[in-house]
Amino acid sequence: MLIRTTLLLLAASLWPVAGAAQTPQELTIYTHPSFAAEWGPGPGIKQAFEAQCDCEVRYVVLESGGDILQRLRLEGENSPADIVLGLDTGTMNTARETGLLAPHQTDLAALELPIEWSDNLFVPYDWGYFAFVYDTEQLQEPPHSLDALINAPDDLKIIIQDPRTSTPGLGLLLWMRSVYGEEAPEKWQRLKGKILTTTKSWSDGYFSLFMNGEAPMILSYSTSPAYHMAIDKTDRYQAAEFEEGHYLQVEVAALVKSSNHKQLGRRFLQFVLTDKFQQHIPLKNVMYPAIDLGPDLPDVFNRLIEPVNTLYFDPAVVADKRKAWLNEWLDAMTR
Amino acid sequence: MSGSGWRIWPGTLLALGIVGLAACGVGALLWQAPALDATELWSSRYLRSVLVFTVWQAALSVFLSLLVALPIARALDRHRRFPGRGILLRLMELSLVLPTIVAVSGIVGVYGRQGWLTSLLQEWSPSLNWNLYGLNGIVLAHIFFNAPLAARILLQTLESTPEGQRRIASQLGLGPLWQWRALEWPAMRPVLPGVAALVFTLCFTSFAIVMTLGGGPGATTLEVAIYQSLRFEFDFGRAALLAVVQLLICGSLWWLVLRKGVTASLVPDRKLSGNSIRKDSTGVHVVTDGALLVTFTLFLILPLLAVLFRGFPGLLDALSPGDASLSGSGLLPATLRSLAIALPAGAASVLTALLILAAKKAGNFQLLSRLCEVTAYLPLIIPPLVLGTGLFLLLRPKLGVTNEGLVLVALINAVMALPFVLQLLRGPFNNLDPATVNQADQLGIRGWYRWRWLYWPRMRRPLALAMAYGTGLSLGDFGVIALFGAPGEPTIPVLLYQQLGSYQMSAAAASGLWLLLLLLGLFAFFNLLGRQPPRVKRVGHTVTEYPEPDHA
Repeated sequence: MLIRTTLLLLAASLWPVAGAAQTPQELTIYTHPSFAAEWGPGPGIKQAFEAQCDCEVRYVVLESGGDILQRLRLEGENSPADIVLGLDTGTMNTARETGLLAPHQTDLAALELPIEWSDNLFVPYDWGYFAFVYDTEQLQEPPHSLDALINAPDDLKIIIQDPRTSTPGLGLLLWMRSVYGEEAPEKWQRLKGKILTTTKSWSDGYFSLFMNGEAPMILSYSTSPAYHMAIDKTDRYQAAEFEEGHYLQVEVAALVKSSNHKQLGRRFLQFVLTDKFQQHIPLKNVMYPAIDLGPDLPDVFNRLIEPVNTLYFDPAVVADKRKAWLNEWLDAMTR
Repeated sequence: MSGSGWRIWPGTLLALGIVGLAACGVGALLWQAPALDATELWSSRYLRSVLVFTVWQAALSVFLSLLVALPIARALDRHRRFPGRGILLRLMELSLVLPTIVAVSGIVGVYGRQGWLTSLLQEWSPSLNWNLYGLNGIVLAHIFFNAPLAARILLQTLESTPEGQRRIASQLGLGPLWQWRALEWPAMRPVLPGVAALVFTLCFTSFAIVMTLGGGPGATTLEVAIYQSLRFEFDFGRAALLAVVQLLICGSLWWLVLRKGVTASLVPDRKLSGNSIRKDSTGVHVVTDGALLVTFTLFLILPLLAVLFRGFPGLLDALSPGDASLSGSGLLPATLRSLAIALPAGAASVLTALLILAAKKAGNFQLLSRLCEVTAYLPLIIPPLVLGTGLFLLLRPKLGVTNEGLVLVALINAVMALPFVLQLLRGPFNNLDPATVNQADQLGIRGWYRWRWLYWPRMRRPLALAMAYGTGLSLGDFGVIALFGAPGEPTIPVLLYQQLGSYQMSAAAASGLWLLLLLLGLFAFFNLLGRQPPRVKRVGHTVTEYPEPDHA
């Protein structure tokens, strides 16, 4: 009885996995969960591109930007990926150095970013600023600068992410570095008392802790409140604008050198900078679109903070210094 | 004994395969590492502090978990019949398979800064400055996960003290102290080192808990350092080096424990207990034990209630047919996919465990026996991520079809569940009473018949429980599935993380609750399958009948 039931169950449960047919022109895109998820921008973009390419788009979902890069490196020349989508300015140069990517040959004229962009490998598809999102019901007067945060009394608690395992975490490390330079380690030591906890990934902190009311502030994106305002219909969560400026994150896509469908891949990268792709970005990826969407940009985006000062390190500098800065951070935090 | 060749070989090969798999995993990383720098271990202040912290928190967790488990096991042993005992025991079994992110969310809901209990305590004594994050949280969560497991194992050994001894103790009117000295301590002592080693290993290799509740780099474990080297530094050498350190520490601990000869099984196998009422289960003990058990039950159940409360509204939305566009449509396919990985993984680990046990029993070589012991503990010690990445490196050119990836996920999940499944099955498999075996030998009952009439009636219950464990462990897996990239088709844990990644907080809470309910359902389902069918006339009395305890 046990065996028979188990076998039946096995057969029944394996059924939906089997039988994914292969089509001749298939564009394989490595990306992360929030892009490809059913409520993310992925499905709409897939549909829009398939309508004009006579091909099939297949997403391979990896845990994070870091994992996309990791997977690409592990697979090397044998990678089945045609496009990687979801790397960012913090991991981009490491990806470049693998030598596994091919030039995009895309016209970048339409780009609307806070910085100049002229990279031959990476096509930006969205951007945003790292920011501290706070709960207005718990914190009426949020700090208005990084300095104020660092000098605040220790009963102001924040949640941050580990720069070794998450991109916003790395973003804060770079943010601190770009504001304080060599003094950053010392400032980290002062900030330490305010850190309630450092989580592995953004989602761990946001879900288990911030939404549970554990801390009034969490390191997130300046665009996060847009989701709460537009979809959850609440103004409760807002980003605090810091005087020193905010660190910029640009998310990028690139063509894989070993791809068998390079032409199709390049068509996709051109497609990235069109309305049909970009209109899915604001509310589904909760970031700024990479081109000017004009009136198509949802209204809530006009209610977000607009940092006067954009902080940004060249990706090559990040790649060069990351390890040293991480070690300084580790040292400051364990001292 | 029956002809043993076919019983030895499959199991031995599987055991060798698992050792080989582990060696391949670590070996592939070492092979890919440009140059290994072992001096880093003692020259880096950070790595040293990681090592010290890992050992320290694990030791503390073991000590406190056992401190909780001992009185609970005694109280449960003293009181063999009370309403809800069965449910409490079920609950205690669940902790091993509870996915961490779900449990942590519940723990935060109770003990966090805004948690139920914290607010209550704060009102009571405002001076109390409880902070969940850091060592506090890690150890608390480890107790939550491990104390029930330890108590369950200890209860098992208590319940298996011979009825005769108990009767004599009862006739002599031994008080609690003497009961402890004459019965309970001698019963538990041989198991304690094994339980301690198990809990130590689980806490030593703990990852998600440390990452969420740890508070920062000051509280980093070896497993976290391995994760970081693999995922973000691409430093295979360091990862392999740290994995070897982990292997050495936990491995030598197990070696020490096993050398002393731990025979009892480390996971409850629900063997049978008598129903005698103990003398000391009356009077003042009713009150103290009652209070103890109620507190413990609350300790286990409050975080689960927190998960329930947070997830319930979202789950209603998700399951309501009208609103299929948002979250509801994702949950069902994810559930099917999860089961498609978890059920084969569970079945594979149960089958492997049986074959290994058979091989160990049939073969008389010291070496074979050792090999089987090693396979029982190796997967506990090797980080799944190391195994996964190593295998990935080896299989790389051939990988790419997603279904292969899923098979690999199921395979690694099966290997990871093996230690627990083996523990569950070992007791009932080996403890067939000699008279029965002799009789069967004389009658020449072998092969299939031997299995059908001797083992199956004794094994169906443990087998069902082992299936529940194996499936449950795999159901909650997030690490391995993430590595082998299930395509846009998520399992429930992956779906949960996806929802988190895109601010779908109530949907994520719902998925968490759904996962919890699914686990409960699985345990209930396998429990049902494990039930003896209504008694029919048996051929002779080859099977010794024991009274069924209420709870099993």
